[in-house]
Amino acid sequence: MFKRLALVSLLLVTLVATMVLSFSAPTIQAQGDATPAPTATPIVAEIGSGGGIHISFWNGLTGSDGVTLNEMLAKFAQDNPDISVTVEMIIWNTLYQKLQTAFVAGEEPDVFLLHASEIPQFGSFGVLRDLGDQYTSGGGWLADDDISATTMSGMMYDDTIYGIPLDNHGRGLWINTDMFDAAGISTDPATAPTTFEGWVELFQKLTLDGNGNNALSPEFDAENVVQWGYTVGEWPNVNFIAALYQHGGTFLSEDGKEVTINSEAGIAALQQEIDLVYKYHVSPPSAGFDTWQGFGAGTVAVLPTGTWYRNQSLLQTDINSTAWPNWQFGPQKATWFGAHTFMIPVDLKGEKLDAVLKMIQFVSENQVDWAASGQVPARLSAQEALDPATYPSNILLGQTFSEYGVQDPRSTVTQEMLTYLDAELSAALNGMKDAKTALDDAAERMQEALDRG
Amino acid sequence: MLGINARLARPKWLALLPSPSLRTREAIAAYLFLTPFLIFFSIFFLRAVVKAVDFSFYDWRLLRRTIPYIGFDNYRELLDDEIWWIALRNTVQFAAMTVAGTTIVALAAAIAVTQPIRGQGFFRVLLYMPSLFSVGAVGLIWVWLLSTQFGVINYGLSFFGIHPINWLGDPDLVLPALSLTTIWWGFGFPMLIFIAGLQGIPDHLFEAAKIDGANGWQIFSHITVPLLRPTILFVTVTGVIAQFQAFGQPYIITNGGPGRASYTVIYYLYQMAWVAFRMGYGAAVAVTIAIIIAAITAVQFVLIGRRVEY
Repeated sequence: MFKRLALVSLLLVTLVATMVLSFSAPTIQAQGDATPAPTATPIVAEIGSGGGIHISFWNGLTGSDGVTLNEMLAKFAQDNPDISVTVEMIIWNTLYQKLQTAFVAGEEPDVFLLHASEIPQFGSFGVLRDLGDQYTSGGGWLADDDISATTMSGMMYDDTIYGIPLDNHGRGLWINTDMFDAAGISTDPATAPTTFEGWVELFQKLTLDGNGNNALSPEFDAENVVQWGYTVGEWPNVNFIAALYQHGGTFLSEDGKEVTINSEAGIAALQQEIDLVYKYHVSPPSAGFDTWQGFGAGTVAVLPTGTWYRNQSLLQTDINSTAWPNWQFGPQKATWFGAHTFMIPVDLKGEKLDAVLKMIQFVSENQVDWAASGQVPARLSAQEALDPATYPSNILLGQTFSEYGVQDPRSTVTQEMLTYLDAELSAALNGMKDAKTALDDAAERMQEALDRG
Repeated sequence: MLGINARLARPKWLALLPSPSLRTREAIAAYLFLTPFLIFFSIFFLRAVVKAVDFSFYDWRLLRRTIPYIGFDNYRELLDDEIWWIALRNTVQFAAMTVAGTTIVALAAAIAVTQPIRGQGFFRVLLYMPSLFSVGAVGLIWVWLLSTQFGVINYGLSFFGIHPINWLGDPDLVLPALSLTTIWWGFGFPMLIFIAGLQGIPDHLFEAAKIDGANGWQIFSHITVPLLRPTILFVTVTGVIAQFQAFGQPYIITNGGPGRASYTVIYYLYQMAWVAFRMGYGAAVAVTIAIIIAAITAVQFVLIGRRVEY
């Protein structure tokens, strides 16, 4: 009898303890009434009710940027009642996979959005339509000189233009202005440090332990940090690419045939990131730490994120924050950016092709509206038309992309190479490998991929 | 009224053939029942297996126009592939921890819920419930539970003065953490199997042992475990097969990290086939995994199966 009672009691106590712990655990968001409910992005959106031409459009805009694009497409459908659009928003990595299988099966969409860095891969497969005829140099509507030379170069593979750029999106910092004020640091981006040592000091002032000591204090307890100055875990390969170029390094050799990330510049760049974690204790290791949640909960002072964070910052946290340009850890400035790009399957023909081109032209000519997504419109004329009061982060970060932006390497195996790099960066930023070993190992695998082509 | 023999009476033209034996007729009937399954199995599974073996001899990229035959080159590369060996080592560790943990927890839970206690049905349902969740839901739940920043587990440990532990970021802890997740998720089904096994042990054996003065542990080790060996064999064999194919947990919870500390062989297969789009190499990985699982299953049958009393 006693055993039975003990058994039932044990099971019930376990159940109750689990529930109590669940309910009493700390919540993610700082409490506040001002936080509005997040807007869900529909995974499939049916836009327009026209019974005429129907377009299928795949993209990876699963965040609030998807909502912005769908609103633009709704205006297009209103102006073109004979055209309707089914938009499928698929997380980027899955989109790459789904596109490849769709092409094999002959079930590809009529138009899709990818990053410019994927153009060499899909271009080499011969599945993309040449879009040179859409630019004024080919007799089309899009002025070549309305796209920056850097962005334009990303649209090409083997001297053929395969893309029409929608935006430039890239790295920028979001800073918690309340934490800056508390630490006595100016929030004016013009006052940002220009050396690694300067940034370390800034992060140290912003990193606090449970006793309120910052990381410059001799009493600082690195085992009990409650507020991080920085976080290295936010998309590490983007940070690495920026730091690599800041130190004068390159991703690939000039002829694109040799991986050069394990140069002295690369090792110096990665070592700085490692030091932020293990030497200066101003960032948690990259794994096991949710950077966005950390920033949203007020435990991270400087979030290295990007243009896409604008709406997250405005709508989904109650943190007072503002955008800063990317850090400068090396002797020269560099920041990473990419471009969302429209592409069309090579086999699309007839009135459907006309409808797709009409839709792309509409979105391109209304790119100012696209700035509401947080991204920087690709057309220079649209960038100039942005209202500074409404779009400060787009303008600030857009200027850095134009002035010193660098992009992903251009190769038919970029995704594969970045996969190898990601794993090695993760090993280095979690104390499993030193910078040189990690980059040597990554370079070896990446070179094999590059050689296979 | 027509009897079954009348309904199964042979057509006249068949009378010209020698009459099949009862055994043959039963075999024909059995295969006829199996036929629908075999048709679907052949179309949707066997054909895919044969194609996968075939693909493993080609350098097949999904959209590339040429698919060169390269013989055993994919297999040779696999044997020299450092990441493959890391993934295999991780998988063996993960499967060993998870199968052992699942078997122990499931057996303990089965014994607990077969006791004549109040609310027996409620506890059976409660303990089985995690098995009903998808791996996506389980992954998200455990990312939160194990979180360094907001996790309930670290929150509980903080009452004992323990600083937050980076369960998913520490290379030494990540596999045990994924294993713990999987045990919680997966012990419900083996628990049901053990309940059935326990109910199949005749009560008089326990009663006789009690009369002879055996204590609880002696009854468990000398009666319960030996008579559950067929069940234990089933649970461990199916467990190894399942855990060798673990994918959703590292994919959703850790992305294979930190570094490659939680790469499993199926995660690596996914990376090769669906990130690098090296389908031929991915097929070689898949075939090799199948061979390894078959070999381990055979060893399990030899080691545990020969001591099984059916």
